[in-house]
Amino acid sequence: MKDRNYTHAIRINTDKCIGCSHCMRVCPTQAIRIVNGFADIMPERCVDCGECFRVCPQRAVYVKDDGLAAVNAGEYRIALVPSVFIGQFPSEYSATQILEAVKEVGFDDVFEVEQAVDFMKKEYKTASQLNVLHPLISSYCPAVVRLIQVQYPALTEEILQLKAPHDIAALYLRESAVGKGIHPDHIFIYYVTPCAAKIVAAKAPVGETTSPISGTINMKEMYNKVSKIIFGEKKPGLHKTYANMTPDSVNWSLSGTEKKYFPGRALAIDGMENVIEFLDKLESGQISDIDFLEMRACDQGCAGGILCPGNRFLAVERLEQRQKKLQKLKNENDGRVNNALMEYENALQANSKTDPVYPRDGLLLDEDMEKALRKMDRIKKLLTYLPGFDCGACGAPSCRSLAEDIVKSKASISHCVFVQRVMEKNYKLSPDQAFTVIEKIWGRNRLNKYQDSYGKSES
Amino acid sequence: MKLQYEIQGGDFSAAGRASSEVKKTLKQLNISPQVIRKISVALYEAEVNVVAHAFKGDMKVDINPDRIFVKIEDEGPGIKDIAKAMEEGFSTATDEVRQMGFGAGMGLPNIKRNTDEMRLTSVMGEGTTLEMMVKF
Repeated sequence: MKDRNYTHAIRINTDKCIGCSHCMRVCPTQAIRIVNGFADIMPERCVDCGECFRVCPQRAVYVKDDGLAAVNAGEYRIALVPSVFIGQFPSEYSATQILEAVKEVGFDDVFEVEQAVDFMKKEYKTASQLNVLHPLISSYCPAVVRLIQVQYPALTEEILQLKAPHDIAALYLRESAVGKGIHPDHIFIYYVTPCAAKIVAAKAPVGETTSPISGTINMKEMYNKVSKIIFGEKKPGLHKTYANMTPDSVNWSLSGTEKKYFPGRALAIDGMENVIEFLDKLESGQISDIDFLEMRACDQGCAGGILCPGNRFLAVERLEQRQKKLQKLKNENDGRVNNALMEYENALQANSKTDPVYPRDGLLLDEDMEKALRKMDRIKKLLTYLPGFDCGACGAPSCRSLAEDIVKSKASISHCVFVQRVMEKNYKLSPDQAFTVIEKIWGRNRLNKYQDSYGKSES
Repeated sequence: MKLQYEIQGGDFSAAGRASSEVKKTLKQLNISPQVIRKISVALYEAEVNVVAHAFKGDMKVDINPDRIFVKIEDEGPGIKDIAKAMEEGFSTATDEVRQMGFGAGMGLPNIKRNTDEMRLTSVMGEGTTLEMMVKF
């Protein structure tokens, strides 16, 4: 079975894109090509990790969210806020003050995602006993889940079939709002997202048919609104009087907390390159004796999310401080935690599992084995002609990628500037033809900017 | 399609490189993930065997539409008693090798479990040849 739902939140604004190829070079799944002067993303390969977003000098890579404009007035609106959002603000502002400000932006209720972590902790214990396959891979980070679907098809069955905390929190909010007498059709939940992958997870969840989340809001947009409300108005008196979740729950989205709650030997791996290096080893059968893998595509986990406005290390430190505050409240209450979500534990349990995760076709050369093998042979042959510089001038991230594109009829060998020189020398290609080829990759007017000393365009 | 890789005896840091390359190739073909997994595990174990026991070896891979065939030949001490070597837990690995996490005596049984056909031949003092086949 294959997963062919290629919904994405990462987009290219062609008004801003100049086809400079910075994104193409950093894409961990080689999903980007330069075509007609613009970056072009292959939907079957993109995992919405946002590495391209980080490096784009033109700010042409953007994240498509629903935005505050989409929030339905007149309905029962709930903002679902992850702890990293609170970590964007200096510690003088209490979590309660920040969440109240979110409500003021235009919501009837606000809820912190990490309250669902107490539920996750319990489920991990059960999961460790039920599953025979080890290591299990956390389903928390949607970019990692999609990376596995595209690049590591053999590992999809090791992904834990459990919904992520934002989903569990949303399910709870629906259940509890119905309990308050609100009609389910009138409940709208908006998730304030730290990254692009979570938007896709809310729009097109893997292993779920529908998402309990109604819309997504870019964390930067919410940050601006909330900053305006609370800026300079510290309200030290406004804080919780009891711990509403176990203290370390606030660090769940960072690196290293989740793994502590899976019984056995567990690793926490953050950063796309680290994740890829490890999955490579795991897929080859080189890893044994490990029971659980916590993986985050971003360095420092969600604090490093591409839509987090603040510094990731500051956010981590602030969340650690917050954990201490919650710990103090817990101690003052004789070690008790009053988490309203846990009253719905049984109802949530019935809905907390996901279907198995299936691989995607991102790497496939051809459905037909014989054709695929022939293409593979051609790639091998082509690679002996290509220079191995991985210069990117052909609009593909490496010589290997160009060879793959050629056998898939998406490019031609004359796209390679090295091969072009040889073809020109052997009179296989005229300079004008070579110029046309280059324009097809880098855009029609791209070369007009190179003018001679008389101000006349050389083209 | 044919592929060939050299394996250096004693180079534990590079163990897995050849099998990783083969795995990358298989992922571009329409082969079920479970079969890729089986092949990857078998190849890795076989590669580690050469690294741990032999001076050098080479891996020849032949892929056609319905199966993969791999032949790994090494120059090394050879295996004295093949039937014994196939037993789970039997290993002649040195303490040094075991300390590195290899040599638990699961390699050959693991290869057998993950392949459809496996043939092991050896000449003492010359080397060992392992052939394996997995159907797609």
